[in-house]
Amino acid sequence: MAEAVRGRAARAPAGRAVPAWVPAVTLVLAVAGLAVSIYLTYEHFTGSTTLACSDNGVINCLKVTTSAQSKVLGIPVAVLGLVYFVAMIPLCLPVAWRDPRPLVARARLVASVVGVGFVLYLLYAELFEIGNICLWCTVVHVITVALFGVIVFAGALSDPDDV
Amino acid sequence: MGIRQLGERLITVAKTKREARLAAAREALAAQRRAEARRKRLRNAGIAVGTVLVVVAVLVVVKLTASPAKSTPTTSAAADVVQKVTTVPAATFDTVGKGTVSNPPVPISGQPALTADGKPLVLYVGGEFCPYCAAERWALVSALSRFGTFANLKQAASSPTDVFPNTQTLSFFGSSYTSDLISFQGVEAEDVDQKPLQQLTPEQQANFTKYDAPPYTSSDARGSFPFVNFGNIALQIGASYDPTVLAGKSGTDIAAALHDPNSAIAKGAIGSANAFTAAICAMTGNKPADVCNSPGVAAYAGKYGG
Repeated sequence: MAEAVRGRAARAPAGRAVPAWVPAVTLVLAVAGLAVSIYLTYEHFTGSTTLACSDNGVINCLKVTTSAQSKVLGIPVAVLGLVYFVAMIPLCLPVAWRDPRPLVARARLVASVVGVGFVLYLLYAELFEIGNICLWCTVVHVITVALFGVIVFAGALSDPDDV
Repeated sequence: MGIRQLGERLITVAKTKREARLAAAREALAAQRRAEARRKRLRNAGIAVGTVLVVVAVLVVVKLTASPAKSTPTTSAAADVVQKVTTVPAATFDTVGKGTVSNPPVPISGQPALTADGKPLVLYVGGEFCPYCAAERWALVSALSRFGTFANLKQAASSPTDVFPNTQTLSFFGSSYTSDLISFQGVEAEDVDQKPLQQLTPEQQANFTKYDAPPYTSSDARGSFPFVNFGNIALQIGASYDPTVLAGKSGTDIAAALHDPNSAIAKGAIGSANAFTAAICAMTGNKPADVCNSPGVAAYAGKYGG
């Protein structure tokens, strides 16, 4: 039975096994996040002239992507998102989930926590400082929170004794 | 099999059974502990994810129940702000030069001279709500102050619900301008809430309708603010520099930064003021000479045919 369980699970760091769907789901989320981040970065550096988003009412991507909050320490938030997902993809590969080194698991968890923390700040900025919501940014936010949720629950579902 | 051997065998079987029962009990206990640990881990994970979702919900609910953003009322400009904007040192203009201007006035040719009161006219049409107008006014007042004197300038902020919200600025509403060399008409067509504020005269309307339209701008930008016509010699439609540099700054901060040639604000606004000055010099026949021949203005030498 234990062998059967192992056969359907990816080996997580520190000898833990996570459900087999976890690496696939996290990888898909990270790749999707990267794709949207590439689009937002392209739009940032081309003046957001072709941004496919409403620019009236509460939903206003242009207003958000050209706001003072669209940069942190001079770095465009879109670029930070791009870098984040570029870093997350290798951490979410099946081989990384099988990696027995605790450092990999910790890096993945810390990255997901940092990501979700940044999402909360950006949501605050959109709602209270800019006053508008950017749909494409919201897609990235949802992906980041989902990634955080899957990584956290994957850690909880894995059994430390199931080596 | 003797009685003794039988006894030993019974003892061995009993021991084996007891050890098996102990092993089974230990395994059951370990399984119970694992299940308990797993429940605890799942509970902690649920708390972590739930906390994130609760924070998101709280942010959204607070936003939805908060009162709407209020516009900043237009008031008389603070004396120190006006003093700083209208007395930018020549050295600052010259040091900044072109600065970070990305969209300077575009020269036009073959048009009848635009005049008022017998002098070349600079016509500005904008709105107090308009964030790009907010950026342009700092540059325009700095430039025009090299040729004449403003009175009764107002201090305002762009719309809190538009791009670059609450960008601090000046307003031409209720102001006047005197100069021996040029005339200036500043029309704030709409207030900060985009309600009608000043009516354009028929002449102003005709000029605005003709020149704030193709082929002088794109069809998408027809009738857009800000519109500045430098005597039918050059047109400024839209912002000449990035309004982001003004974000979060007070009027006092911006006015002070205009005197610092190394500030991002001066590089944008004073760089634009040099371009505006060059366009105005083309209207005045390069008068006054000390202004029109200054290195900052010379950065645009020949662009406007002066």
